[in-house]
Amino acid sequence: MSTLESSVQIPPSRRPMFRLERAELLKLRKSRGVWIPTAILTVGFIIIMFTAVELFHVSNSTKYGPAGGTLNFERALFLMGQIAGMIAAALVGAAAGTQDLSSNVFRDLVSTGRSRTRLYLARIPGGLAMLLPLVAVAYALAAVLSVVLAGGLATPSVTLFIKAGLYVLFSASIVYVIALGLGSLVGSRAAAISILIAYLLPVQGILRNITVLGRARDGLLSVAVERISPLPPPDPHDAVSMSLATSLIVLAIWVVVFGGLGLWRTRTRDA
Amino acid sequence: MATQSEFVIETEGLEKSFGDQVALDGVDLRVPRGSAFGYLGPNGAGKTTLIRVLLGLTRPSAGTMRVLGRPMPKERSRALARVGAIVEEPGFHRQLSGRENLWIAAAAREPAAHLRIGQVLEQVGLADRADDHVSTYSQGMRQRLGIARCLLSDPELLILDEPTNGLDPGGIQEFRGLVRAWIAEGRTLVLSSHLLDEVEKICDHVAIVDRGKIVAQGSLSELSTGDDGAITIGCDEPHKAFAAVDGNGSLREVEETAGGLRVLVKPDASLEKVAAELNERLVGAGVAVHRLEPSHVSLEHRFLEITRRLGGDS
Repeated sequence: MSTLESSVQIPPSRRPMFRLERAELLKLRKSRGVWIPTAILTVGFIIIMFTAVELFHVSNSTKYGPAGGTLNFERALFLMGQIAGMIAAALVGAAAGTQDLSSNVFRDLVSTGRSRTRLYLARIPGGLAMLLPLVAVAYALAAVLSVVLAGGLATPSVTLFIKAGLYVLFSASIVYVIALGLGSLVGSRAAAISILIAYLLPVQGILRNITVLGRARDGLLSVAVERISPLPPPDPHDAVSMSLATSLIVLAIWVVVFGGLGLWRTRTRDA
Repeated sequence: MATQSEFVIETEGLEKSFGDQVALDGVDLRVPRGSAFGYLGPNGAGKTTLIRVLLGLTRPSAGTMRVLGRPMPKERSRALARVGAIVEEPGFHRQLSGRENLWIAAAAREPAAHLRIGQVLEQVGLADRADDHVSTYSQGMRQRLGIARCLLSDPELLILDEPTNGLDPGGIQEFRGLVRAWIAEGRTLVLSSHLLDEVEKICDHVAIVDRGKIVAQGSLSELSTGDDGAITIGCDEPHKAFAAVDGNGSLREVEETAGGLRVLVKPDASLEKVAAELNERLVGAGVAVHRLEPSHVSLEHRFLEITRRLGGDS
């Protein structure tokens, strides 16, 4: 142990970068309860989906078409952008928002004198560094399989591939930040995941079908996410029309409100 | 602006309440630089609350405080950069190894903290198990890892809340050795404990806290000895002995025990003179004295005396 007089000083040029962000990534990467379900919900679901469709096709090619092609790519995109990908993002975000609290490490981090805001903000890139590569791998797999297994079907255009790739990464990032904020706000991973999954799956589906709500439905996360998707809505009658600008504003509000609540709670919470 | 103050911790009128529950009631604390300072009190006295307030884990309801000469919470970041602390049982990410946990802790500290990970693991005797998951550690090993984490910032001030919890006798011995080394290096230690023996063996300064108030503060010698003394008297007729010595102007308190009496002598009286005088009285009263032992008041007795007296007042 060094004495007080011989404290090591590292010149700024040799200081390791993004240490807090890398620490957040390490925590999530080493948590099997986080990365295994996330990998299953992203890469796993794409493999399962294409494998199942291909098996149907191989077993009865007259009744079932090839697993690839634009239609199946769009289905994969819907799965990633609005169902499994969102749940994966919710899992990672809720874990990132609560893991220091549940392990009582938050107290130690705060007692170092580091700003609570800085500790909170480090969770955003830290968690995305774990989530987005898995989403990207799943997306790349879907893109490759939709071409390789296309048979005689038309394949998606390069423009669609690019737009769709940006869309899945963007929607996962949005849900991640919302989940991070909610997790930091409620302090319980289980509670945050339950609330989010309940909202993402049954609740907002019910709400968007209550026509009496009218334009208020534009505020639903799924509606705004669907609007930025490069795909047409799965059911045209189900769609709530809104402009791209409005959808981006709605998403920004979701991020600012939940991200802000998480930050506020992190700053004011007794550690 | 930090000044090389004589005290590493100074609080004035510090208060903290949780609803109607008063945890800190006007705490005025001064911890001398370079001391091993014991913060002693019964369970629920407000020891951990004070530490939590000092570390910015919770906000005080009133009062001011300075840590390492810097006002808190105004200069919290700079003050706490050179503080290492364990509050209650140290928490870790159990799915990570000890080394990885220290890596994460170092990320929140100065850049050089990463270079100290190997050293501090060696120092607390965990180098061989550093790459095992914390979930496989015993409570004592987690406590050692907590101490290692404190040392990452090369702290001027260590604040440890019940640090020997879970340590085996060998570990406690090693811990005392570490504390001596820290003090020799010029660091200051604040040890919060309800274990009197531990504080007596480790610390040179003490504050006694009860129900959120500091009831005594000073060097260990001032608090545990000074001119205060006690005399233990062994005799066959305690009741008769009590009657014989009661009313002696040099005595503060007389208490019957199973085998005789225990008397507390006033600070201005000579312990040896009073012992001789009592012996003469007892023999004169026909009490057979088989033991007469003047002794200094231990910290334990002083602690119990203060807290019991306060308990009686309420």
